[in-house]
Amino acid sequence: MSGGPWERFAAQFPELLDTLLLGVEMTVIVTFGGFVVAMVLGMAGALLRNARMVPIRMLGTLYVDVFRSVPVLTQLFIIYFGLAELGVKLDPIPAAIIGFGINGGAYLTEVFRAGIEAIHRGQNEAALAIGMTRAQALRVIVLPQAVRVVLPPLGNFAIGLLKDTSVASSVAAPELSFRAHMLVDQTYLSTQIYLTVAALYLAMSLPLAYGVRKLERRMARGRLA
Amino acid sequence: MTWTDFSEWLPQLLVAAGGTLKMSVLAFTLAVFAGLLIALARTSRRRAVSAVATCYVELIRGTPALTQLFLIYFGLASAGVILPAFTAAVVGLGLNYAAYMSEVYRAGIAAVHRGQREAALAIGMTNALAMRNIILPQAVRIVVPPMANYAVSLLKDTSVASLISAPELMLRARDLSSEYFMPMELYVLAGVMYLVMAYPLAKGARYLELRMGQGRIAS
Repeated sequence: MSGGPWERFAAQFPELLDTLLLGVEMTVIVTFGGFVVAMVLGMAGALLRNARMVPIRMLGTLYVDVFRSVPVLTQLFIIYFGLAELGVKLDPIPAAIIGFGINGGAYLTEVFRAGIEAIHRGQNEAALAIGMTRAQALRVIVLPQAVRVVLPPLGNFAIGLLKDTSVASSVAAPELSFRAHMLVDQTYLSTQIYLTVAALYLAMSLPLAYGVRKLERRMARGRLA
Repeated sequence: MTWTDFSEWLPQLLVAAGGTLKMSVLAFTLAVFAGLLIALARTSRRRAVSAVATCYVELIRGTPALTQLFLIYFGLASAGVILPAFTAAVVGLGLNYAAYMSEVYRAGIAAVHRGQREAALAIGMTNALAMRNIILPQAVRIVVPPMANYAVSLLKDTSVASLISAPELMLRARDLSSEYFMPMELYVLAGVMYLVMAYPLAKGARYLELRMGQGRIAS
């Protein structure tokens, strides 16, 4: 192999891209999986924080405060390396999905809570006054209105998560960043490969960001103050 | 984990947590100033200047900090610019957060009513004077709470710098865990140390939010 790094890069580009695209696929899977887990935990967390019994509410607060105060990398290491020490050996991909899900759930708890709180209390009171139960009022009256408050931050969370999944490379989850490290180890083309990786992340995150911006504008329109 | 293990780890982890704090403070300082420059560049009337600044923000916010760190650390090294890992981490995280910070400034500046600027110009201030004496002082109270929140995120994101082997808490925890084979104990301990640093900071940010939100005139 002769020539400068850029020539070598150009010559090998098709194979490099093929490998990186495999990583893109896995990045999408981890992002999507983490997002789903985070949604479920976030809703559960918001219900806990909304509960009438103080100990249950405190449980919700504890979840949010602890998991938002510790880096997601540390949480991934605890789930992947830490649990393995205790005999619970998870594969990298499930470990990453669980880790990002639990971490993200703490953030989404706050997003959902803010969404519920943004709905005027009178809505809830009126629903109770006409004889709905608390659960009914939440489901039929408050939640449908909260959705439009919650959608834009949910979109932003998804973008953040997409980028954060790069950290899963450190637990050997074969996503985009991990594939890139392997390729750099083989070819020493660090600048070229990481620039390609940056471009691939951009190709995923920019359309998402554009969608969120559009959503933000749409949701802001025609909302009652 | 025995008491002996613990007493051996703790001093080392505390030193490493010092590295985390140092990295956070330096990167945050860089982000605060670079972010302001970017925000001002985006308000520039020269199209080229504002376009470059906008591109910077979009590119940085669209890619993971980890990729940026690898480009700065490994990419620059292949071009002959060899930075120590710690410096690369400070520069990388600082420039990354500068992009987010510039958006905070932009929102802050936009939130000050236009009449303020127009009045300043009407009494004969230059653009720069109006920005410095009239708009920025009012924008500060809008800007400080989100900045504090970014400080908390930055503190946690420094953990990613361990992946380019910059000396900080996670790197030390990893080294110790490969030496003692007790990852659970060590990573939980590291997690607790992050919690001790980040939680009070987050509470402080929340306090600032409530405090600065008070007595603000709606525009």
